[in-house]
Amino acid sequence: MIPFAQYLRGLDGDDDLLTLAADELADVPPDVVAAEALRASGPVIRYNQVDGVDLASGSFSGPDRMQRRDAQPWSRLALGLGLEPDGSFVSVLETITGLGPAGQTDGPMYDTQAASRTVDSVQALGLPQGADDVWPALTLGMASIATADGTYWAPIHGSIVGDETLRVRTPAALAALLDGNETISIALGVPPAAIMTAYLLAVTDHVAVPIQACGVADDVPLVPTNGGLVPSATEVVIETTVADHQPDFQSDRREAWEYCLESTPLALSVERVIATDEPVVPFSPVGRPLADDLQLTGVTTAATLYHRVNNYWGISPVEWVLLPAEAELGFCVVATDVLYAGFEWQLANILFTFSSLFDTVIIVDEDVAPTDLGRVLGDIWVKAHPSRDWIFSDASAPAAQRPRYRQDGQTGSRLYVNAAWDPRWEDSYIAPRVTFETSFPPAVREAARTAWRTRHDGDAAGGDHDER
Amino acid sequence: MAADSFRDYLQLLADDALVSFDEPVSWDLEASAITMLANRTDGEVPLFESVGATDVDAALVGDPYRGPRSRPWDHLAQAFGLSAGLSGAAYYDAIIDRLRSPCEPRLLEPERAPCKDVVHTGSDVDLLSFPWPYVHRSDGGRYSNLHTIVAPDPETEWGRWSSHRMMIHDDALASLLFLAGEQVPNRYYYEYEPRGEPMPVAAVVGAEPAVQCSTEMWIPTGRSEAAFAGGLKASPVDLVPCETNGLSVPATAELVIEGHVLPNERLDEGPFGDYFGYMNGPRRSMPVFAVDAITHRAEPRVPFCVEGTGVGYGQNSSSTLQTAAAGPDATLGLQAAGFDVDAAVPWRFTSRTVWVIATERSYPGVLHELANFVFTTWGMLHIDFFVFVDATVDAHDPRAVLTAIALNADPDTDFHQFGVERMPKVPLNIYQTPDEKGSADVGTSKAKTAKAYIDATSDRPPEDDAETESLRARAQHLLVDAGVSPEPFDLLEQRERRDGDRR
Repeated sequence: MIPFAQYLRGLDGDDDLLTLAADELADVPPDVVAAEALRASGPVIRYNQVDGVDLASGSFSGPDRMQRRDAQPWSRLALGLGLEPDGSFVSVLETITGLGPAGQTDGPMYDTQAASRTVDSVQALGLPQGADDVWPALTLGMASIATADGTYWAPIHGSIVGDETLRVRTPAALAALLDGNETISIALGVPPAAIMTAYLLAVTDHVAVPIQACGVADDVPLVPTNGGLVPSATEVVIETTVADHQPDFQSDRREAWEYCLESTPLALSVERVIATDEPVVPFSPVGRPLADDLQLTGVTTAATLYHRVNNYWGISPVEWVLLPAEAELGFCVVATDVLYAGFEWQLANILFTFSSLFDTVIIVDEDVAPTDLGRVLGDIWVKAHPSRDWIFSDASAPAAQRPRYRQDGQTGSRLYVNAAWDPRWEDSYIAPRVTFETSFPPAVREAARTAWRTRHDGDAAGGDHDER
Repeated sequence: MAADSFRDYLQLLADDALVSFDEPVSWDLEASAITMLANRTDGEVPLFESVGATDVDAALVGDPYRGPRSRPWDHLAQAFGLSAGLSGAAYYDAIIDRLRSPCEPRLLEPERAPCKDVVHTGSDVDLLSFPWPYVHRSDGGRYSNLHTIVAPDPETEWGRWSSHRMMIHDDALASLLFLAGEQVPNRYYYEYEPRGEPMPVAAVVGAEPAVQCSTEMWIPTGRSEAAFAGGLKASPVDLVPCETNGLSVPATAELVIEGHVLPNERLDEGPFGDYFGYMNGPRRSMPVFAVDAITHRAEPRVPFCVEGTGVGYGQNSSSTLQTAAAGPDATLGLQAAGFDVDAAVPWRFTSRTVWVIATERSYPGVLHELANFVFTTWGMLHIDFFVFVDATVDAHDPRAVLTAIALNADPDTDFHQFGVERMPKVPLNIYQTPDEKGSADVGTSKAKTAKAYIDATSDRPPEDDAETESLRARAQHLLVDAGVSPEPFDLLEQRERRDGDRR
């Protein structure tokens, strides 16, 4: 388990964090700065504030894959999970899955609370007010409530509308668990493993599984609060009670997890705010490209789908599943061994069964690396036949949740693009790729690498292996 | 100051975008392998000064037109005397302005033409004395694939310029990939060959950048590429008459191969790892180019393209030329045809198969009309898809386009097959079986294909984002001032322009 502040120090140590002083921000709202940093595939931004907590944006996001880059969108998340940032994507997916419902666990573990300093009011936190916001915004929060059966976590976001009043949105499934217990704790700046757990439980509609029965309990030390258990290393805890279950609360802002399950508004009264000595909390430029909440939703959904499809047929033909944030989670890419003719149809449609986020699935060959979105964005047009391999269902499917079209309940078609080789084709039909390995014999490759290396120290990898 | 020759252009790259190899490098895969490394790592353009085993002291240049990954057009912008660092939209605007003012070429006396430093005719001709690269080990032979084919055109004084890969066979013979549906091959297949008449052609290797760019453009019939090349560089292109036929060729070219495409003769061509990023075959029979003369500069520089590396994340000369030359030209062409088009931009990841068009939907059915126009007037053999996005979407930003497709294109209503398997297709494709590709005499596949367009425009009214853009520009400056690289930002020049106006 890596606490959030330590996680940021690690990113700083990797030269992946830029600190801005309060006076540098001047008249530009933090959410605009955060969005531009993400758009540029830039570093995590830490905003040192004179009044209030420090803020961090981009901490759960990463660079896009519209160009070949050394880092991946999930590299920071890998670091936050205690994995190698340049480790495999599948190891990230499997680690995330392991945080969720696990049957038996050894946990929970307990520790002392890092947040020991009382803050005068929630306003004093100085949470960021976006360019279009009336009030300061709370994003990337983790709600915790407790019942006799345990503690439940879910994502939460909202606005600070007064010294003692919050208006928030959280999964309806969490609100339903309150059942007379009106206390909710909001944890800000939790360990990456904890926020990923909250998102995982939301996107899989497992909010009603107590965290004592989740893998995260074996990994993240906890501490009790008035609401429920929260990670002991949490930067800021806001203890609240529910003031209104059906507030008159109009807000267009939706964190990305809300495309996966129903959310509900709540009005909360703040009872107490506690923080660490030098608190730092993450925020997401919600609704902007590559925002942190979007990446978290995409990666946790991909982890779920990867786990489910590879446990469905008794074998594991799927190499990886991706919901690219670059496409706003509007389609799903899956790399697979096409076991037999028609398998691609089964695979696409089972993905539609397991997620309502998208209604387009792209199938690529098993040798395509998850880091090589560029190849996916070439193969769908080059390998897939424009009529035979763009397969539309009949028009009776419900619309997916993420796209903007057909939000009136009309049914329509789903689409899968088969950019994998047809298993019925003879090998002689299969066009070999033009790669460094396939285009040149070993002696020429070595000579070329040597020649290039003499001019570019350490920059002659050349082979396709660097895409994986 | 525009680059008036390929050498001028290389000089322009010399500061920080060119890397020379003085040690011997073989044309036999080695130069291509090093170039592939350069392409993959966004490195400098490699210049191979010492290519072994050739009679002529020639250099090879690997993918000279590949631009930086973040701004592929940057080198060509400088070649035309424009600023470096332009956004895609600003570069397109500047090039379109140039193309609106074509400039007729100037005919030089042969004595003043650098391309005639050395002249070989008749039995002196030896194609194999030049270091034509063997590009991929599965290729059918050695290729010239970054050149301009000059062919006669009764409607223009300066002939027609186009690009067709050329496989070298011996000292005086090559085969040309002629695919019916393109203008020069059509003239050969349907006019010269039926008359039993050889078609005069010249292959111009190492022409100046404006010539290479106009070669990639779809120029309307009756207009000449030479005049648009002059427009591109805002001064006339110098031409010079050929030694053995009536064609005129760019005078500053490194190397000119004059000859005829023989009627009713065929030689093997391919396979070759072409722009799809896959080896494509099968080996086919293609028209024969019989060489009559070769003229060249002293120590010619021979450019070549490592095809197949310009897909996915990769860039090479051909993908860059699509983006930097064919794109602005197509944008202007659609505007001239009366369409309210903001930009027509090749898709960065497979630039000859998919194009993105940012446009207003000015009346019902306009996208169908646009698709009908483009599928029937240009690119019909190569391009399979058009993606239409709102004019407010930056067509140069593939992430923005991807988002538009994912969120706006309804599988139910926005994917339009434009005639299911009724359209012609190049046999280079990899999605047809060898039987479907067949061996049609005129170079197209035996089987037809489908073409499609995707309506990724939004049904929502556009948001007024002037204030948002101003805030974004300030944020970008703040981040750059704090140490973030300015490379990826799109609004810095807006602020600089405004500051300039204030001053």
